[in-house]
Amino acid sequence: MNHVLNITATNTPAVVERLLQVTRYRGYELAGLELTPRNDARSLSITLTVSSDKPIHLLTSQLHKLYDIQQLELAGAELAVLSA
Amino acid sequence: MKGAELVLQVLQQHGVDTIFGYPGGAIMPIYDALYQSEVKHYLCRHEQGGAFSAIGYARASGKVGVCMATSGPGATNLITSLADAMLDSVPVVAITGQVSQAVMGTDAFQEIDVLGLSLAVTKHSFMVRSVEELAATLHEAFAIAQSGRPGPVLVDIPKDVQLAEIDYQPENASTAKVAPVNTSLANAAKARALIAAAKKPMAYIGGGVHMAGAMPQLQQFLAANTMPSVTTLKAMGSVAKDNAHYLGMLGMHGTQAANLAVQQCDLLICLGARFDDRVTGNLQKFAPLAKVIHVDIDPAEINKVRFANVALLGDMKQILPAMTVGTNCADWLDQCAQLKQQYGWRYDHPGERIYAPLMLKQLSDRMPDNSVVCCDVGQHQMWVAQHMRFSSPRNHLSSGGLGTMGFGLPAAIGAKLARSQDTVITVSGDGSFMMNVQELATIKRFRLPVKIVIVDNQRLGMVKQWQQLFFNERYSETDLSDNPDFVALAAAFAIPGHCITRKDEVESALEAMFTWPGPYLLHVCIDDKDNVWPLVPPGAANQEMITELKA
Ligand SMILES: Cc1ncc(C[n+]2csc(CCOP(=O)(O)OP(=O)(O)O)c2C)c(N)n1
Ligand SMILES: [Mg+2]
Repeated sequence: MNHVLNITATNTPAVVERLLQVTRYRGYELAGLELTPRNDARSLSITLTVSSDKPIHLLTSQLHKLYDIQQLELAGAELAVLSA
Repeated sequence: MKGAELVLQVLQQHGVDTIFGYPGGAIMPIYDALYQSEVKHYLCRHEQGGAFSAIGYARASGKVGVCMATSGPGATNLITSLADAMLDSVPVVAITGQVSQAVMGTDAFQEIDVLGLSLAVTKHSFMVRSVEELAATLHEAFAIAQSGRPGPVLVDIPKDVQLAEIDYQPENASTAKVAPVNTSLANAAKARALIAAAKKPMAYIGGGVHMAGAMPQLQQFLAANTMPSVTTLKAMGSVAKDNAHYLGMLGMHGTQAANLAVQQCDLLICLGARFDDRVTGNLQKFAPLAKVIHVDIDPAEINKVRFANVALLGDMKQILPAMTVGTNCADWLDQCAQLKQQYGWRYDHPGERIYAPLMLKQLSDRMPDNSVVCCDVGQHQMWVAQHMRFSSPRNHLSSGGLGTMGFGLPAAIGAKLARSQDTVITVSGDGSFMMNVQELATIKRFRLPVKIVIVDNQRLGMVKQWQQLFFNERYSETDLSDNPDFVALAAAFAIPGHCITRKDEVESALEAMFTWPGPYLLHVCIDDKDNVWPLVPPGAANQEMITELKA
């Protein structure tokens, strides 16, 4: 099943790699990635779509630990569940 | 001052007086600054060893361990140790030199993408782009390494940044604060209700308890809520020696009493542990009757592999007192006491050859209080966990999550430098010892009185055991019967030693080792056929331990 994550991240050189590395390592398939610098160019708006049969909290709880990630929300109905 | 000097200033601001490392081209400015610094640098003989020493230092002391390496090969040599620190949640700051920014990205000499390499083996990592951001980055590195669930942080510093001039006043500089731990006690009432209702409660204690500084709270918790307890490899020494209800280590090579009791419990209170597969055996069959209370500082561990009926996140020191309610489980305590009695270790062993479990028990009985034991990886490591007793997890340094051979000797160097008053012993295997044997030179140079015990079975024993049990006795590449003469090897580093082969030599050999004021190597030859028991075979449930089998 597909999950859409809306992420605000600090615009550091390795942030996207970190995001993708955790996604891959935790066993989620990449189904979409969009990224735009925010107005101040210090942060990025990232929309990450992943697919997996695993519960999505196993990924979001790991992504929350990345220092460059400021905010992470599951799009849609799943949103309420997560606030780690 | 130069960026390089600033690095040392910031280290000192964080109370760092001991670092481990190895110089090279891209980190020469920092080594130049070190030349006149008060920070004491210990030259390792391989960066992996240096970083293990930083880990040993951190684990024995509770402080942050610091190591340094040059770009390219120096930095890549750090990777294994960083991975070790990552999996065992050890606060380490690694500083690497990088080629100058002018040539970065051109495959310059000794240029490797260290930031890229670091992603999987660090809690966080930085590349410093200008000398202006250097101090803040280093402060942040220290804050991150220690905050929440600790871990290794790498800071990669290009040579031009090390050489750049900056006006830095340490007194005025604000250090990044360790992020406060958010603790929620919202679920404490639910936890208390489960504990009060449990007929067979069990505390499953991991390394998170002592790392949170919650050892006193743990003893109080176990006293106020009388229940049996088991510990992971990393938590050995967490439960006070006089606690009658402690059952030992659980898991693949745990005690039978611990495993059988955990399989029967109806409430498992997991404190700072993570249901690692070496602990649970077959996960689906692990503690099948138990509800779970999971207490941790890392939200990502909750419900990762085992569902928690109640989870409490945050500071163990606050959470444990909030879970106190009292228990009523006399029958269960009796039952566990019986298991403990029935399955106690036996040290009677035929023949005159040395029986490693007994030898380690003798070592444990003889070593001064508060000695630190640093292990390597393999059968000897499991025997240490089974047969030695520790008064604190900071006294038993064993590579848990990564299981890294070569850990013991360099970790002992770090432990000795962190705790010069305490006796430090490394118990190594004939295989593992050779993995960082070059660190004998570090011991020699600094005359570090580390006691080295090599348990020599002329085998990669743990692998041999698996070949015997699960690979039809096909002993592929596990024979080490052409080992070097370890006592002669030690002598080459001016370290005296002695070799023993018989049981009746053990006591006097241990005596001689402890009496000798300096470093010492005791070469203990054992039967290559001895194996570690009990053992939970792969895929089996923890009650399906197999015991004793020689071949
Ligand atoms: C760096 C590394 N390589 C390989 C292994 C796999 N391994 C685990 S235990 C072991 C044998 C260790 O032999 P030794 O140090 O002599 O200990 P023993 O089991 O004989 O007591 C090996 C090869 C490992 N854990 N670490
Ligand atoms: Mg061996």
